[in-house]
Amino acid sequence: MLLSTIVFLPLVGALLVMLAGGRGDRPEREGTVRAVALAVSLAAFAATLFLWWRFNPLEPDFQFVENRVWLPQFGISYHLGVDGISLFLIVLTGFLTPLALLTSWQSVHKSVKLFSFFLLALESAMLGVFVSIDLFLFYIFWDAVLIPMYFLIGIWGYERRIYAAVKFILYTMVGSILMLIAIIGLSYAHAAASGTPSFNLLDFYGTTLSWPMEKWFFLAFTLAFVIKVPLFPFHTWLPDAHVEAPTAGSVILAGVMLKMGTYGLLRFAFPLFPNAAHLYAPYIAGLAVIGIIYGALVAMVQPDLKKLVAYSSVSHLGFVVLGLCALNVNGVQGAVYQMLNHGVSTGGLFIIVGMLSDRRHTRLISEFGGLKAVMPRLVACFLLVTLSSIALPGTNGFIGEFLILLGSYLAFPRLTVFAATGVILSAVYMLWMFQRVNYGEVTNEKNRNLPDLTVREWALMIPTIALAILMGVAPGFFLKPMEPSVIRLLDRINGVHSAALTPDLKSGPAGGGGR
Amino acid sequence: MSSFAATIPILIVVLSAVVALLAEAIRRPGERMYLAGLGLIGLVGALIASCVLWDTDAVSFGVVRADNFSLFINIVLCLIGILTMVFANDVVEREGLPAGEYYALTLFGISGMMLMAAATDLLVIFLALEVLSLSVYVLTGLRRSSAAGAEAAFKYFLLGSFSSAFFLYGIAFAFTIAGSTRLDVVGTAIASAPNTTLALLAVGLLAIGFCFKVSAVPFHMWTPDAYEGAPTIVTAFMSTAVKAAAFGAFVRVFLSALEPMQGQWMPVLGVIAGATMILGAVVGVLQNNVKRMLAYSSIGHAGYLLLGIVAANSAGKGAVLFYLLAYAVANMGALGIVALLGTAAHAHDQLRDFAGLWKSRPGLAGLMTVFLLSLGGFPPTAGFIAKWYIFSAAVQEGHYWLAIIGVLSSVVSVFFYLRIVVMMYMTEEPAAPARPAISGPAMVALAFAVIATFYLGMLPNRVLEYAMQSIQTIF
Repeated sequence: MLLSTIVFLPLVGALLVMLAGGRGDRPEREGTVRAVALAVSLAAFAATLFLWWRFNPLEPDFQFVENRVWLPQFGISYHLGVDGISLFLIVLTGFLTPLALLTSWQSVHKSVKLFSFFLLALESAMLGVFVSIDLFLFYIFWDAVLIPMYFLIGIWGYERRIYAAVKFILYTMVGSILMLIAIIGLSYAHAAASGTPSFNLLDFYGTTLSWPMEKWFFLAFTLAFVIKVPLFPFHTWLPDAHVEAPTAGSVILAGVMLKMGTYGLLRFAFPLFPNAAHLYAPYIAGLAVIGIIYGALVAMVQPDLKKLVAYSSVSHLGFVVLGLCALNVNGVQGAVYQMLNHGVSTGGLFIIVGMLSDRRHTRLISEFGGLKAVMPRLVACFLLVTLSSIALPGTNGFIGEFLILLGSYLAFPRLTVFAATGVILSAVYMLWMFQRVNYGEVTNEKNRNLPDLTVREWALMIPTIALAILMGVAPGFFLKPMEPSVIRLLDRINGVHSAALTPDLKSGPAGGGGR
Repeated sequence: MSSFAATIPILIVVLSAVVALLAEAIRRPGERMYLAGLGLIGLVGALIASCVLWDTDAVSFGVVRADNFSLFINIVLCLIGILTMVFANDVVEREGLPAGEYYALTLFGISGMMLMAAATDLLVIFLALEVLSLSVYVLTGLRRSSAAGAEAAFKYFLLGSFSSAFFLYGIAFAFTIAGSTRLDVVGTAIASAPNTTLALLAVGLLAIGFCFKVSAVPFHMWTPDAYEGAPTIVTAFMSTAVKAAAFGAFVRVFLSALEPMQGQWMPVLGVIAGATMILGAVVGVLQNNVKRMLAYSSIGHAGYLLLGIVAANSAGKGAVLFYLLAYAVANMGALGIVALLGTAAHAHDQLRDFAGLWKSRPGLAGLMTVFLLSLGGFPPTAGFIAKWYIFSAAVQEGHYWLAIIGVLSSVVSVFFYLRIVVMMYMTEEPAAPARPAISGPAMVALAFAVIATFYLGMLPNRVLEYAMQSIQTIF
């Protein structure tokens, strides 16, 4: 019941928020609504921490499994479970949602009730994506995520919000709806082979498919996931969505939703179709490396802070995909770790951009300059988050990128050389941006009297930075519980494939706490 | 008595229609009669009778069969009828429609539809088709002062007559082969001598007749004009009920009597289904009138339903029934809201009329959003399960391409459903005439439709079971 509680607690909270808001649009109830929403999201976060506490880190398989028959004639069940890979994504979702609510404290005043409702409903749907074992259920949550996000961008976004919202929903739907066909096809292939209908992921792992089927299904799944990631060249919806979304939307979008794509690759596309995965992984890795460099170069020339962070996401997610495609323990573990890092660091960056934008109502880098003298505390936090995003040793990003490069060097040594330049480029565009915004003389008079961090903003920054440093200095704390599940999943992917790619598949120096 | 059993639901509806006509005759000028209540009594009676007849497989006069299949359609029709009656109670007088005629014709139409789904004889199907068609032609042009309404009715009538003629020719050829118009006799005759020219002609002409009624491409031309020109409450009724009845007969004729010729008609219907899905979605994008947009959306939905017939397996047949129900609830809800917001002076059917609806009517905007999401096939609504069920049936038979066309066109259709959502939530309210208030019963009916939409989307098990049981009886 724990997983169901975690998944549906935010949704129940969303309905509570609607009740607390009363009929119609009542500004005087805003405070109550915000308090209820925050309380619910904190309770959900506490529940995810409780899950982590009760989680058995030595167990590679799904834990806290709930399995109830739902549509028996199709073999569909309400089947939930969590393993080392999804555990931290769940915790991350729980962590970021209260932050997203807090960031909107000052900036959102238009129907706070509905805003909180959609944000909490979104949390439920995202949590559902990470705990579903049944593919039908997974697809329902996967699709359900789109609707609240669509509203968040479309109602509370900036000028071109409607265009961005519609582009976001249609673009991501095109990919995911082909996956639906593949899921159905997979189920019939399984039924034809075993005689019983099923949508259970664990049943599908054992299904052998004919090569054309495996190939097409793999491509359909992968298309859905790489659009979500987004992998170059499917990334064009992302800058629009990020730039137009309200800060809370950007935090959730970058922090959690992009990870749904990489999570899907790791959990579904690769292990379900291992032969196709081995055939196509180098090509996907190639696109990932193009994305790393392209994202970094484009980020460098962005005049808009939010767009810069958005393109940096393309670059960072490229690293994650590269790590996954390596299909060895280091690469995959690094990739999962990097998913969490990116959630924390980029979430933090979006929060800071939101703070600047709340103060100045602009996000153009040229409008700022010399902020260090005006808001020393905010800039200090900004620096820490920036460094964590660049992957300075001692911050979370370093561990992730290092593991990824280690893993991908074994699989694709030449590509890795190019990927490594992305590390340097990220330092270039981030530090250059940081310099232009914060150092030098105050050139714009409007920046002269900006207030420094408020209590609420400290509450946003402290957890983010603390987590970034904790993940940088004590990675074993996070890597240990995910290791058995990563190894189990890789066995599934590589076991079927005749030639294992790397020698250290099972005994590799998989990032323990000793580092 | 027992020989009448199968016709009881139909007779109840006919009776209430007759009473509605008589009531209109004795009504003093200016007196208001609750004809909607009368219709409700009749429809609830028919609903109960249909439930009682479940599993009895009663046959009347050898040509009307109350098997679970027709009863399922009956129940769908009764639900549509009940929603129509509740909405009409708000709308009909406000719009200045002649009440007696409206209620009587709607009820006669429903009786014809019930007969059409239950008939096991081609001629009876034809009679039922004419009963429902004539009612709907008149309903389309019910607003006598409206030029658009008259044009719509005339167009619908002319094209409809042609299609009826095609259908009748088809029956004639079938009769030539079998010496009877009974479906079972026709089926045996065709099974023993399939692929003769006569049989091909019969199948082709019958298919044209049905495709016209369900508005499949290329026989869809009347749909946008008729739906736009008709009073909105009539549009809501005919876009759901006519479709349900026509698909009922379509499934019965093509998947039982004409099944031996499946190899001949399946590729053709497959192409029609694909074209219908694409056209409904793509042309719908260009519309600025909500009724016209939903007309194209209903063309698209006809394509998905045809896909279920093309799949022709047991899942496909069950899927058609489930889809009809899911579509009926969502479309009645969406067009019902359009109808409830309209007045005689201001139809409230342009896209921009919906601007800022969320500000002034948050509840109504929320309901509308759910219906539109269901039509677009988003989980966890009925539309998603219905579409999934259809595509699943198609994939099972290896129709991957049609399924892919289906899902992609449904993404395109999401675009125009979202245009309404964008208007309601993301655009400022114009200085338009105030929207009329919505009565309690209408709100209850809308709430019922929303609950049904979620129920079918989240716990579809029981209804799916019934749908599966229903299709077993027609074989």
